Amino acid sequence: MSALRLLDLVKHYRGGAETVRAVDGVCLTISPGELAALYGPSGSGKTTLLQLAAGLLTPDDGQVLFDGRDIGQLSANESAIYRRHDVGVVFQSFHLIAGASALENAALKLIADGFSLHEAKQHARPWLDRVGLGARSEHTPAELSMGERQRVAIARALVNEPRLLLADEPTGSLDSKRSREIIELLRDICHERQIPGLLVTHDPHAGALVSSVHTLRDGLLHEGLDAELASAPMR
Amino acid sequence: MSRGRLRAPKIAGLRLSALIELYRWRIGNRKAHELLAGSGIAIGVALFFGVLVANTSLIGSASQLAHAIDGSARFQLAARSPEGFNEGLAQRVRRLAGVKVAAPMLRENAAIVGPDGRDSVQLVGLTTSQVALDGTATRDIAAGGLSLASGLALPSTVASEIGAQAGQPATLLTDGSARSVQVRLVLDSQTVGPVANSPIVVALLPLAQQLSGKPRRVTQVLVEPKPGAARLVARELRRLAAGRLDVEPAGSELAVLQATAEPTSQSTNLFAAISAIVGFLLALNAVLLTVPERRRFAAELREQGFGPRQVLTVLISQAAILGLAASLIGVILGDVLSRTLFHEVPSYLMLAFPIGTHPVIPLTTVLLAIGCGMLATLLASLLPVLDLRAGRPADAILHESGEAGQHIDKRATAAGGALGLTLLLAVTVVVLLVPALSVLGGVVLALAAFCLTLPIFAMVVRIIKPLSERLRGSMLALALVELDATATRSVALAGVAALAVYGMTAIQGARHDLITGLDTALVQYLDTADVWVTTDNNFLTINSFQDHGALASIARTPGISSVREYQGGLLDVGTRRLWIRARPSGDDALIQASQLLHGHLAQATRLIRHGGWAAISNGFAEEHHLAVGDTFTLPTPSGNATFGVAAITTNVGWPPGAITINDHDYQRYWQTTNPTALEINLKPGVTPSTGKQAVEHALGHRPGLVVETLAEREAHYEASARQGIKSLSQIATLLLIATSLAIATALSAVIWQRRARLASLKAQGFDSRQLWRALLLESAILVGIGCLDGAILGIYAHALASRWLQLSVGFPAPFSLGIGLVFLTLAIITGIALLVIALPGLAAARVPAQASFQESL
Repeated sequence: MSALRLLDLVKHYRGGAETVRAVDGVCLTISPGELAALYGPSGSGKTTLLQLAAGLLTPDDGQVLFDGRDIGQLSANESAIYRRHDVGVVFQSFHLIAGASALENAALKLIADGFSLHEAKQHARPWLDRVGLGARSEHTPAELSMGERQRVAIARALVNEPRLLLADEPTGSLDSKRSREIIELLRDICHERQIPGLLVTHDPHAGALVSSVHTLRDGLLHEGLDAELASAPMR
Repeated sequence: MSRGRLRAPKIAGLRLSALIELYRWRIGNRKAHELLAGSGIAIGVALFFGVLVANTSLIGSASQLAHAIDGSARFQLAARSPEGFNEGLAQRVRRLAGVKVAAPMLRENAAIVGPDGRDSVQLVGLTTSQVALDGTATRDIAAGGLSLASGLALPSTVASEIGAQAGQPATLLTDGSARSVQVRLVLDSQTVGPVANSPIVVALLPLAQQLSGKPRRVTQVLVEPKPGAARLVARELRRLAAGRLDVEPAGSELAVLQATAEPTSQSTNLFAAISAIVGFLLALNAVLLTVPERRRFAAELREQGFGPRQVLTVLISQAAILGLAASLIGVILGDVLSRTLFHEVPSYLMLAFPIGTHPVIPLTTVLLAIGCGMLATLLASLLPVLDLRAGRPADAILHESGEAGQHIDKRATAAGGALGLTLLLAVTVVVLLVPALSVLGGVVLALAAFCLTLPIFAMVVRIIKPLSERLRGSMLALALVELDATATRSVALAGVAALAVYGMTAIQGARHDLITGLDTALVQYLDTADVWVTTDNNFLTINSFQDHGALASIARTPGISSVREYQGGLLDVGTRRLWIRARPSGDDALIQASQLLHGHLAQATRLIRHGGWAAISNGFAEEHHLAVGDTFTLPTPSGNATFGVAAITTNVGWPPGAITINDHDYQRYWQTTNPTALEINLKPGVTPSTGKQAVEHALGHRPGLVVETLAEREAHYEASARQGIKSLSQIATLLLIATSLAIATALSAVIWQRRARLASLKAQGFDSRQLWRALLLESAILVGIGCLDGAILGIYAHALASRWLQLSVGFPAPFSLGIGLVFLTLAIITGIALLVIALPGLAAARVPAQASFQESL
């Protein structure tokens, strides 16, 4: 399995006369089996960093290395294939389809790869079991708790057996107990499958559960959790 | 605050200005959604209002014309034929005790020709005694009698049509002759009000008598009794009438017009009802788009301290503002529709009634349309009110995904299906027992079509789902999941499609049956002769002319086998303006075989040819409880005439019905030998065009007469028949196009609103083409479900409508499925919808995947 390596990564945005340096020379390596937490105030560039890792944005400078390839140099088609086969993304707002069952939600993304839905569901079922929702596979999101919905989203992220896991504030809508469970789940999966994981979070307690902690401020990456962020009340 | 200063009014403690400001804040940068919601409402109101105005204008404009001419007249003494009666009778009426005013009139169908064209009109001859009746149209004309001396007054629309101006000559065709006459006055609406739009020309009585070839004849006398003398005058008028003239209330012709136009009115009422339902569904669907953000807005208000009653006031006020604004726009659009598309009066009515073409818009119609639009908006906007229920947290929406139009549970689906089937069954039973209620049944069937969209939707999704799960590389599974996820909105949109297809299928199908029946009737009616001679625009062959030796001249022409005189007219019996057809005894067929409902054709023909017998329409037969062999009485110009019922037929294309007798009976009872047409048969080997030329040569210079071959006259009839129901086709087509565009626009908005999820699918590996295919499939399935539902119920409604046309109205309208028309309708609506959403769908599918990381799009 491959590590995720970000080398001198730069991404700037131009807003009128001003240039926003969202990512300004970031270097980060996440080894297989590790889940790294990324903190930072709102607008600090955390999501930009996640999108660069997912191949959704092209860096202005630097490299995103994964599995011997510079992800930032992939074509649009190659990038889509990369996300389809190698990346699993967990979103903050779940993006589940109301009315579709947990199993259908988890399985749907495999259709993009040419699977029939029937086959996709067969692939997704073990992952639903893995996240603890095997008995609730036919329930719709409306019938699930917030924590369970996030678990469905995690199962969906894993159904294509990715080699890189990216999570954008997956516990933003959860209480502390559920947040802990989700982060532990993500950590355990990264460890089991020996894949690198990057977790963007505001939860100061996540730091105790992950392999490494980093803070992004003003486009620069710092080791550890910023004191100011550490004292921020958890939602 | 100083004493005496007025306080701004408040509702639930909120000022009106605050309510408006809150609305402005809410729509903020979501004006597009609100505009979409408003456009849905406006379209529905426009269709509803436009159709209503078209309907009311028909009777409304005739009513205005009647009042403008009749003025204060209470009674009329009316002739039973266009030949009229001696004007000496009018003087006797004037001398009756109790009569205040007696104004004689002559009315004659004619055509007027000017430099730019010709127009069919009714010649109205007045006297200066009309002034005393104080009709808004006639007082000025009659008072200015001198200026009308030896000339005509034309309404501005007629003058404009033919290019005539005051002081210039025009040609009046009447009685089979052409006469040049000066145009003295052009009357605009300021002078004569609604008469300015009516197809009439006015002259003083002596000139009108001269122009119509009816010296010293009048067709009616308008009578105003002295106060308290109404009953005396009515009795005296009946004595004077002596059973040969009609004594009626002055405006009785309106009731006859209403009865004649009843089928058209009922059909347009059906469309108005369907348009109202479509409008409501469009409003519902459009407003559903704004439900999430309105719920959030309401939750935010409550977090800020607004009470439930205040939040309710805010929601209702916003719905009222949107509903009022959209409805007003809809009324304006509907007015444009009524003036441009729906303004034509069916030509068959104009032949028998002087109907104007200007729209009449009663205030009640405007208020009804606006009220319905606002009600639809209010009902559709009620969803956020559910969050105000006791026990529900004020900010519940903030913790939900807030997707509107979610999954429909099985109970709701079953309830919809049960209601739809119940309505279907009820309509079937009621209509079988009471065919006259078929139009109402059509409206209820439309509701059933919408209700049945629910179970049909569930059934189609259930049937396709196993297939979709087995297909590889197909986006069908994704399309179905999305469709089911927004089922409420999907069903609403499918329901709109269903209604549009339903309306189109039912009306166009019935129209097709009617046209087929009329064409068959017409061919048999006309094919007794190879060449016809009649007056201009004489669709019903009711306008008589002086022979002046025409028959003898044509009979002597080489190539002519036989010439016969056809006679006919209109006769008011109750509220029926019956078409009297007096066929020459020498005609091969006196009754059209295809129109025979009861009786034996050969025997009936023999009886009618013998005399004293008649074929009558089924509507007339039912009204008077007549069967073959019974006798009945007709009020004729020479008194009551008794006939035996030889056969019962359809209404042969004339809604009030027709009575067929032989020419001898007609001449005896109507006391006239003037023909309304000459039927000419050619010798073998003579072509129709050669025969026509020979007849024209034999007639000489008779510009008032028209010579037509059988084919030409058939084409003339066909065009008139189709024109008569043209507005129905226009309404049906407009409904289809408007709903197709509205569905496509709503679908586009739905798709655009789903961009966040599309972005997340992209982030998970779907590409733009896959997502676009899924969106198109989803839209095609949705529209297809609606089309299927609408087509099935539409075909059933078509069968009921044709049955109604036959049984209740008496039209020849044999049912034929016309499956090609159904498929064409389905293809049109699906094609338009997919074409319109193709580009927005593609744009939505190309949403950047990184947008899935944004909080809102």
